[in-house]
Amino acid sequence: MARTTSPAEELLYNPCEAEIISVADLTPDEKLFSLRMTDNRPLGHLPGQFVQLSIPGYTEAPISVASSPTRTGFFDLAIRRAGTLTAEMHRKVPGDTVGIRGPFGSSFDLTAFQGKDLLLISGGCGLAPLRSLIQYCQDCRDEFARVAVIYGARNPDALLFKNDLAEWRNSPAFDCSVTVDNVSGGDCFYGSVGLLPALIPPLEVIPKNTIAVVVGPPPMYRAVIEELKKKGMASSRILLSLERQMRCGVGKCGHCTIEHLYCCTDGPVFRLDQVEGVRGAI
Amino acid sequence: MKTVIPDRLQEFFIGFTDEFEVKVPVLTTEGERVFASPFDGPPALSGGALAAKPTAVFFPQQDGVISIGSEGLLHASSAKPLFVAGFTPRDLLCLRFIDRFFAEGYRDDIYFSRRKGALIAAVSGFSGASGGFVPLSGGACDLEFVFDGAVWIVVPYSEPGKRIAARIPDDAADDALAALLEKSGGCVDEDAAIIQAASKLLLNEMVPDRFWDSVAESCIQCTGCNLVCPTCTCFGVQDWRYPDRVERSRMWDSCQLEGFMREASGHNPLGTEGLRTRRRIHHKLAADRTKWGEISCFLCGRCDAACPTGIGIVAVSRMIVERFS
Repeated sequence: MARTTSPAEELLYNPCEAEIISVADLTPDEKLFSLRMTDNRPLGHLPGQFVQLSIPGYTEAPISVASSPTRTGFFDLAIRRAGTLTAEMHRKVPGDTVGIRGPFGSSFDLTAFQGKDLLLISGGCGLAPLRSLIQYCQDCRDEFARVAVIYGARNPDALLFKNDLAEWRNSPAFDCSVTVDNVSGGDCFYGSVGLLPALIPPLEVIPKNTIAVVVGPPPMYRAVIEELKKKGMASSRILLSLERQMRCGVGKCGHCTIEHLYCCTDGPVFRLDQVEGVRGAI
Repeated sequence: MKTVIPDRLQEFFIGFTDEFEVKVPVLTTEGERVFASPFDGPPALSGGALAAKPTAVFFPQQDGVISIGSEGLLHASSAKPLFVAGFTPRDLLCLRFIDRFFAEGYRDDIYFSRRKGALIAAVSGFSGASGGFVPLSGGACDLEFVFDGAVWIVVPYSEPGKRIAARIPDDAADDALAALLEKSGGCVDEDAAIIQAASKLLLNEMVPDRFWDSVAESCIQCTGCNLVCPTCTCFGVQDWRYPDRVERSRMWDSCQLEGFMREASGHNPLGTEGLRTRRRIHHKLAADRTKWGEISCFLCGRCDAACPTGIGIVAVSRMIVERFS
């Protein structure tokens, strides 16, 4: 059955072409791609949002934007090789083109962040979406009070954005702490060793003037939230970015539902008080 | 109002095929009523709800999303608008629900490429299975075919519906619908109270996980419940590679399947059959009620008829009410 699509009608599922500008290895399994829209328009994203990366023959996948909108002329996607589409993306080189739909989803409420102390906590791949916010804080540093970046990974090899981490650790703009679950002989690592939630108790937190952002694998959320609650943080001041399988990115395919919420359109950024009573959210 | 005798229906619908892509229930050689062209056989308007989901005319099992050739995106060609006759009044409620689902937030242009400009004709009266009575829709469509046991009374509602009806020569008596409307008003569906009660219990979290595990023991993951449901809209996306192009399509998916929500990381929020069974029922009776303000089951009866192990939504709702009220 043919369809009647008027050319003027917005075509929700049509990707726009983007060119890969550069590719860098982050870990043995993760690469950082810098891209630009080939029509030179800005992506138009806000920290926390994602795009649907499209490669003909390999369908689409949701990928968080890993760079700040304050850095113009390009946008970054950090991509772990975890399936056929991401494996194909890892074969791409500068000059290749891919499809982009979006940006989609909710973002961090930067207006609400103004003047506040920020705790930016991430584990594993969670640093990718948070990097957009961290860069924004770097570029608009005067808008915020203290900014603490706390990051954990399985081991030193699994740390993402090692150059950024080094820069943030040396920057007077941030308090940056990095931990790994374990190290083995021969690893060169200058952070702490232990689970990420252990970095929270020593922090000085003024609950009424602090916003915590937590992004990471599902088991991390519960432990980190517990530590933040011990610090007196209210649920309305704790933000999460949840990961689900998002096939369409626009609230239609049904794969990312969390009870009545659609992770792709209601999220991926949620306040904890929006989701802590919702079964299966965290 | 107009009237059409059953023997004239095929000619009547064929008369609109230049202007519309006409879909009417037609009896297949296997004895099943399916939506087809009136050229494929005489319309079988009587017989009750079609076994398959009627909303498939707008949201088909597999549908093109984009086509990518060597020169970039290829665009779909135009087609005639649809004229679909055969929705029961309950099917119309389902259609209204998914119209809203596909319209709100991001408007789904693929769905509306078919839905836009389409004419919908409901079927009611003594047109149910074995001549049973189907209450009248009362107007949530362009026109309605009401069977009084001898002729079809055609009731137009919208302006396009009136233009369709105007092509029928025979007028109906002014009071032709009176008895049928009175009979409609007296119809009560006890299942409506059952799913409302089950919905309330689910929203109040009165249904424990062990219940879902026990229901799930009966599920054979045939996915029939999802595939026949007019308000099930979940889909997956596939790319098909041809020598000269890639076709991206979307295809119905089922929340009863293990991989439905499995993420690239391996994390699976619906990792057990019990959770998936809960999702299927909870989504219709509780989650959609929270999100959209109404239950998204309109008691069409298809999943209960299709399920080989007796765990359609009304059957499960009845179990919930019996055990947890």
